[in-house]
Amino acid sequence: MKVSALSFQELGIRLKKGGIFLRTGSFVTHLQTSISSVADGIGLLYADYPLVEHAGFADFHVSLASPRTLRRWFKPQVLFLFDGKPAFKPLPLDQAFPTFEWGLNWCVSSHANRYLIIHAAVVERGGYAAILPAPPGSGKSTLCAALVCRGWRLLSDELALVRVSDGKIIPLPRPVSLKNESIDIIQRYEPDAVFSRKVSDTMKGTVAHMKAPSDSIAYATEPARAAWVIFPKYQAGAATRLEALPQSRAFMRVADNAFNYSLLGVRGFETMAGLIDASLCYDFSYSVLDEAIETFAALKPPVP
Amino acid sequence: MMWRLISGHALHFRSWNDEFVVYNSLSGDTHLLGSAAAHVLLKLQQAPADAAVLAEFLAPALQPGFDGDFVLEIEHLLVDLNRLALVELS
Repeated sequence: MKVSALSFQELGIRLKKGGIFLRTGSFVTHLQTSISSVADGIGLLYADYPLVEHAGFADFHVSLASPRTLRRWFKPQVLFLFDGKPAFKPLPLDQAFPTFEWGLNWCVSSHANRYLIIHAAVVERGGYAAILPAPPGSGKSTLCAALVCRGWRLLSDELALVRVSDGKIIPLPRPVSLKNESIDIIQRYEPDAVFSRKVSDTMKGTVAHMKAPSDSIAYATEPARAAWVIFPKYQAGAATRLEALPQSRAFMRVADNAFNYSLLGVRGFETMAGLIDASLCYDFSYSVLDEAIETFAALKPPVP
Repeated sequence: MMWRLISGHALHFRSWNDEFVVYNSLSGDTHLLGSAAAHVLLKLQQAPADAAVLAEFLAPALQPGFDGDFVLEIEHLLVDLNRLALVELS
């Protein structure tokens, strides 16, 4: 059963009572909350995701709750609880849904060490994955959103999961996180895209999340093979330019963007080396989304 | 002066074109090294050696890329690798 099978009212009741078991890619999250904005966000952006019925197991047990302090009367807050314990400091209640998204990213990046986890967007076409590692502010999510609005499959907007056993990229399609002017840019670029409401004054500025395409969610259990590692850089007015990057340099830069490369030790090194072996590596600068899409459409997979 | 890999280190090498990425499983550090440094490490993996022996062994492959005294260049390289805690005096 999908989340959309529940009315908003039923979803709210389930979230409040026993919680729901939500499948996102290869993870099951047990989520419990009585905060209505979280229920609204789940109902809107996770409508196409499967619910696991009668689940006895979840990878992550999380809840979002308002701390019951006096402060709740004048500046209400939200807490993200993992296994019943706060994972972060409380945030303003208005940020409850973004807090869920950030918290779920934290759950995966802190616990899923069977994967090499890279801070990167990943999109796929024809079975080949393009990994877009980048620090915040590089235009990674904007480019990722535009690509998935133009036919690329979303594997992840934030966390590239490389399976240590075989180097395959494991999908984790979840809402695409956009911030500040990127929100309006993508809303103009794809007027049919579904967005959560904008939340301002967060630690990232104004944020909103774009619903993942239904096809990406439907194929969330199909891994892809790495084919390209592309470091995007949005620069106002910049010409669209794709420049080959030596693989050794790409290795070091991807390692810099990995969450658990050091933790995995030699397995992290070997997995990273396999990823780089399999990939053509590029620096990519852009300012015009249509030109960026054309450049990606022309990418050829590596010759085996 | 005889040099060797720092004892207990297990180095893992991968190369693309003329550059090497070397992982030190003892320290957890990853280094991006040029061809000369990587070949010095690979030779020292087999046995301790001094700069002169290393220079003689590596000259056919590396000397065209170096100016001046090749042995001195290898000595400087060994000092740099020592700073990275990859080699030590034997």
